[in-house]
Amino acid sequence: MTERDPETSDADTIYVFAVCRDPDPSVLVGLSGVSDESPVAPLSLGALTAIVQRVRAGDFGEEAWEARLADSVELERYARGHHDVVSAVAAACPTVPLPMATLYRGAERARQALADEADRFHAVLGRIARHAEWGVKVYAAPGPRDDGNQEPAVPAASGDRSRPAPGAGLAYLNRKRGAQQRRERCQTEALRIAEVVDVEVSGLAAASRRLRPHAQPPGERRIQVLNATYLVAEHRAEELGVLTRALRERTGAQIELSGPWVPYSFVGEV
Amino acid sequence: MTDVDFRQGAYPVSGPQTTNLADILERVLDKGIVIAGDIKIELLDIELLTIRLRLFVASVDTAKKAGIDWWETDPALSSRAARNVMQEENRLLRKRLEELESGAAEE
Repeated sequence: MTERDPETSDADTIYVFAVCRDPDPSVLVGLSGVSDESPVAPLSLGALTAIVQRVRAGDFGEEAWEARLADSVELERYARGHHDVVSAVAAACPTVPLPMATLYRGAERARQALADEADRFHAVLGRIARHAEWGVKVYAAPGPRDDGNQEPAVPAASGDRSRPAPGAGLAYLNRKRGAQQRRERCQTEALRIAEVVDVEVSGLAAASRRLRPHAQPPGERRIQVLNATYLVAEHRAEELGVLTRALRERTGAQIELSGPWVPYSFVGEV
Repeated sequence: MTDVDFRQGAYPVSGPQTTNLADILERVLDKGIVIAGDIKIELLDIELLTIRLRLFVASVDTAKKAGIDWWETDPALSSRAARNVMQEENRLLRKRLEELESGAAEE
């Protein structure tokens, strides 16, 4: 892989996807990464190898990123391009994923800067070896609808539309209050279940992390009450599946399990 | 029925096949090891971005049909909008200054 070595032009910008140990270059074939103009390639750091791509500086400066972040289609393209490379490399060898948009001015700079961090990379590789990341989301059941405006009110006295039946106002308020209390009970119960799930899953994880629950997109009635992610040893992955099913049955809550992921969330704090 | 998106074969694998964008973003944007690159990219606060993006992805078609283009004027999503906000703020400050100055001159 020398003919298009990323070192050939130091005027270029180097995008770094990941740092790994003994990658198999064949897994990089066919990956488009974040640019169509040059291949995703290994860059040796000594005992470690960075997975990089040569990109045009103009396409990866601050302004270009600002525009990209404001464009959901572009953002998705780059995020998935990054993720695909990281995933392909990680499937074949121990890998430390780097965040999207880690860039250096030239291969020599990249090599130097990354080699300086070799100790951290080795420490992270040790920590995540034979582990994967699993996401767990818990959803509250949709709260009861606020029926205050939909239920037929106490029938109004016939022929007199301007004067509601006696007690209609109070009935309305009681209905409202009842719905509000039911909603609050549902939420409290959902949060309690979220805590139970987190405690139990943490029990078989090597590390855990709470992420901010996602906002409720339009049309989604469920409310996310837990968005957490766990570092789980390979040999316990099956156990996690069993536990999740058991928790679902026991609590009646909707629990989503996603994974295995390359342990992105567990490489930053060594 | 399997409720887990397992992929058979190599391990660790690439993540669930039904990877939703918000899940990827909250991982690739700021959860990797922190290594200072040469080019400092001020990525937006990921939580804000994820939340907005979810709304955005879900509603973009509807919004377009309705002629809504809030993302083009939302400073958190658009650098152009951010510049517009600055310009507007500048304009208001200048106006306020002029008012103050002319008030002072009259006294």
